[in-house]
Amino acid sequence: MKIWGMVLGGFPRSRYARYALRDRERGVIPFKDDVEAIDRASVQVIGAQLVAGLPVVVDGMIDWHDIFRPFVDAWRNVTVDGLLRYFDNNFFYRIPVFTGEPDPREYVTPRRVLRFKETADPATLKVVLPGPVSFAFMSKNNSGLSNEELAEKIAYILRDEAKKAIEAGASLVQVDEPFLADIDATKDHARLAAELADKIVEGIEDKAVVTVYFNVPEPSVFEELLNTKARYVMVDVVDAPGRAEKLIRGTGFGSHTPVIGAVDARRIIDDKPSFVEKFLKMVDSGVDEAVVTTSTWLDLIPFRYALRKVYVLGRIVEELAEKNGYEAYTIWR
Amino acid sequence: MAGYEVPRKFLTTVVGSYPKIPPAMELIKKRRSGELSEEEFRKLIKGPISEAVKDQIEAGIDIISDGEQSREDMVVYFAERVQGYRPGDWVRIFDNVYFRKPIIIGELKWTREMIVEDWIYATSISMGRPVKGIITGPYTMMEWSFDLKYGDRRELIIELAKIIRREIDELVARGARYIQVDEPALSTRPWREEAELLKEALDVIFKGLDAKRIVHICYGRLEKIIPYILDYPVDQFDLELKNSNFRLLPYLKEYGYDKELGYGVVDVHSLQIETVEEIKGYIDMLMKMDFIGPEKVYVDPDCGLKRLPRSVAKAKMRNLAEAAKLAREEW
Repeated sequence: MKIWGMVLGGFPRSRYARYALRDRERGVIPFKDDVEAIDRASVQVIGAQLVAGLPVVVDGMIDWHDIFRPFVDAWRNVTVDGLLRYFDNNFFYRIPVFTGEPDPREYVTPRRVLRFKETADPATLKVVLPGPVSFAFMSKNNSGLSNEELAEKIAYILRDEAKKAIEAGASLVQVDEPFLADIDATKDHARLAAELADKIVEGIEDKAVVTVYFNVPEPSVFEELLNTKARYVMVDVVDAPGRAEKLIRGTGFGSHTPVIGAVDARRIIDDKPSFVEKFLKMVDSGVDEAVVTTSTWLDLIPFRYALRKVYVLGRIVEELAEKNGYEAYTIWR
Repeated sequence: MAGYEVPRKFLTTVVGSYPKIPPAMELIKKRRSGELSEEEFRKLIKGPISEAVKDQIEAGIDIISDGEQSREDMVVYFAERVQGYRPGDWVRIFDNVYFRKPIIIGELKWTREMIVEDWIYATSISMGRPVKGIITGPYTMMEWSFDLKYGDRRELIIELAKIIRREIDELVARGARYIQVDEPALSTRPWREEAELLKEALDVIFKGLDAKRIVHICYGRLEKIIPYILDYPVDQFDLELKNSNFRLLPYLKEYGYDKELGYGVVDVHSLQIETVEEIKGYIDMLMKMDFIGPEKVYVDPDCGLKRLPRSVAKAKMRNLAEAAKLAREEW
């Protein structure tokens, strides 16, 4: 089996990026200075991923206030309201408010790919998109559309976004549906999420990941999600390892390449390779490829620990490959 | 309390924090950098506390707080004073706003009073109004810290509960009659096992305590957690209701809620000041549901007021107190 590692999503801000954003909000520095600080932090996190040997990297989305905000800012007929807790974290996102059918003024991810793909070389860049079900159901919907219709409209915009990101040079498109791990998520949500993810990644299914994190989805929810045509499906196994084990042993990943979120992105302690190994062994007889990733985005821990987690992830992939006779896919091999 | 008679029904109160009044933040920074000793800090922070107390009294609040003027943050403040913690790095809360998530690196131990002096001072200037003793709960301390020492959540939460109990004992010995434990983190993980974990800790905190025992919980999936917490050893749950459009009320009725209720009627995340009529309407709505008597209702904001401008916070309190006064005449 071939194994490789990747970071699931965004990184925390470095001190300089934090200060630069603050100063720009206060009007103390011009726009370009804050962009420079963000770029420096992005280069730093890309560098950390390269040092860890990861073949697919993210730019860190350092400037994203939350997963929805850059898209809210880039689309017409959607704005933001007050704060709402982002799942079970001491982190809050601004609630998107849809006042009509969303209409893109610009695309978010392609220009980022163009900006950072040379920095990422010899690795390739992944872009991360908010899943349309999470987006629609975690927003205030004053659009006149049903949530399902709104999710579909979002999916059509994200389809163009994904296509343009791939044209710009991205190697992987990730669609995040954390809502599916929520206590209120149903099979219907998962069915819709799978259908809409397929619209987004139509024609690029082999370069697509669908992710669920912050909890383990109900088996019936996960089974529906497995109907997606995306090649990769990710599950967070850290939050509730017992339930995750039951899900993987019981439901499995179908015909998808498993992406195991086994490196704890919400705690700062170094992860044990044996924990990751346990989950890899659950899938290694049925597949020829598996991916090890962080249990969620790394932006819930301080910057220096996020960099440390990347190092730990890379080491674990190397160590487990050597120990179990897996083929490690890194930028060096 | 001598000099002030609290109403028999629809008492008004606050959850605790109040906008930082200058120079509170500057003093906190100077204390942290060592420019001020703890003693100097305690002396100087009395200025902002007295302002916070004055605002609450002027607004007509019956049971007040010290405004938590000493506290940079509800977790960091205690972590800086409990042995076994070390300062953490910045972790984002929203937008470009952060807190220094502390790290547990050693055995936790109570070493000194943490909130008693502020409480004593606030009480001395409260004109007879009771002052709540407010402390961050063990579940929230646990969830909003990084743990590099214990590795076992049950062991950790019980250790934190023992420290909190020790502090509460100091407060009660000085005369505190209202003790509030803040647990905003609980509603984020609305599962039975989590609720049971906190119950164990609350048993440590409240067992045999001779004071009004209050737990404040806010945001998240309160309706999911309610069935699991009704047997907590508390006299009152103080709950956020306005922000979630009072969706919790039917659940409280359905589950036969019989404790006192801290009834959150103003949204602390909104700059819009709820009118007296609106707030009175929320109180009427509760009364018409007919599952709780007015003597068990404590009218208050959803949560701490710290993120609001001072003028907005004060206006919200004033309208809340006025609405409660009108409700007392009617119910």
